[in-house]
Amino acid sequence: MDISFVTRPSRESPPTASRQFERFFQDHYPAVVRIAFGVTRDAQLAQDVAQDVFISALRRFPDPARTDHARAWVRVAAVHVALNTIRGERRRERHEQLAGAEPAAAGPEEMLLDREEQVRVRLALRRLPRRAATVLVLRHSGLSYAEVAAAMNAKVSHVGTMLRRAESALRKELENATRP
Amino acid sequence: MRHVPSTQLRRLADEPLAVPDRALRHVTGCDRCQGESDEIAANAALAARLLSSPASVGDIDREWALLQDRLREPGQARHRAGTALWRARRRLASASLGTTAATAGAVLALGAAAAAALTTIYAPTHVAPVRVDLGDLHAIEHITGIGPSQLMGGLPPSGSRRLAFGELTWATAGHARQVSSIARATALTHLAWSAPATLPPGVGAPLSIAIGPQVTATVSFSNGAAPGIAGSTLQIAAGPAVVVQYGSRSGQARMPTLAIAVMQRPTATSTGATASELEKFLAGRHGLPAGLARQLRLLGNPATTLPVPVPSGMTQRQLTIGGMPAVLVTAPSGIASAVIWENHSGVVFAVGGLLDNQDILSVARQIG
Repeated sequence: MDISFVTRPSRESPPTASRQFERFFQDHYPAVVRIAFGVTRDAQLAQDVAQDVFISALRRFPDPARTDHARAWVRVAAVHVALNTIRGERRRERHEQLAGAEPAAAGPEEMLLDREEQVRVRLALRRLPRRAATVLVLRHSGLSYAEVAAAMNAKVSHVGTMLRRAESALRKELENATRP
Repeated sequence: MRHVPSTQLRRLADEPLAVPDRALRHVTGCDRCQGESDEIAANAALAARLLSSPASVGDIDREWALLQDRLREPGQARHRAGTALWRARRRLASASLGTTAATAGAVLALGAAAAAALTTIYAPTHVAPVRVDLGDLHAIEHITGIGPSQLMGGLPPSGSRRLAFGELTWATAGHARQVSSIARATALTHLAWSAPATLPPGVGAPLSIAIGPQVTATVSFSNGAAPGIAGSTLQIAAGPAVVVQYGSRSGQARMPTLAIAVMQRPTATSTGATASELEKFLAGRHGLPAGLARQLRLLGNPATTLPVPVPSGMTQRQLTIGGMPAVLVTAPSGIASAVIWENHSGVVFAVGGLLDNQDILSVARQIG
């Protein structure tokens, strides 16, 4: 699935959102923001990612009801934009310090894991191959095997193997990170 | 039977019904497959715990309003959402009307709408604060058929809405449009004002200068409305207006840091009903929150007061600009503020932005 569109800012002016696109936003925003949170472990960042994904989706699918793959596209795009975001976060943190922004307070969502663990998970996802991180986040955000397969352009019968390898790789990354 | 492939062992951990029965039977009797299945299940459980997402995803309506804001500003939409300024904007929206309520034009428009809903012969000479929360705004939306998002640009140039007590129609004298300079905006709208000579640190050149035409709205009360009101019409006129948005000095983000809105005060006339009849009727409408109705009654003479809605969570202070009453509204933690006042000539000003009180007032005092 081509998601290069969403990974770079566009020079085009965005079109106006239609009623159909508003309905699409209302229906799919929760899933997109949950997927983004799966990667960023930060509610504010996840909302930022969702905004960027839907702005790009509007350019690509002005009437999303007329295409079959808009639903899958925004989910995969959420993973990729979120991965790009955490990969560039060192740069972002420095920029925000210069701009004098306050660090975001931990909300109830971030409290699901302690802060140290959140950072470990984020670093591990950053190091995993992109396809492994994608299958992990999509599946654990609640997508079924069939939905993961559709979103990743893979066969349903391959999802289990992709998932097993990705989960094993995640455990190894976490173990390596805690090894002295 | 051969050992069960790992793809099926993984699926067994969370979709066991999708795994064939013979594979299940094999796993229970095979130490090797059972061991591998246990390891896969442990890794899956670890990933599920670490990657779990919250049930709550934030305010979808607020995010939709923010997305629409980005679409309305073509330059802005090219930039990523995760900047400090963007975050400030989201925090501001969370704390206020659910959208960019701190923009001066919005505060002004809501003030005009609230005022218009109250009186017949209406020509305000000064501003006064009225606390509102989202419930109040929804109530106003329910009664008038027009909500904050429509007031902030989503309303077509002309149209009509059927209300419970009649019909609302509105029309504009021309189109809102961008102009090349403040002098040109002043000449086209006949609004006499001077742009600030000195801008606060961090505020750059104007990003956009827009003029809005005069808007005329008419409420035609149905025959069954109420004694004295039935069959009468109420005509409200607001504008023209000028809105100037300034960017940042660094020029990195095309996001406004300061906005100045200047508007001819709203006025209202009635063809039959008296002011007190209309006031009683509208204030007694089912759905108008009692707290809001009480505040509006306490404003004093409603025919000469322009209510300035102050969203819950924001602080407000009353002061004077150029000798005239003004309302200063500040967002939590002082990240943004706005000041609204009407001058001696019946021109309403609003100055607002992502600046502290001192900076906003320094701009206001230069133009007031």
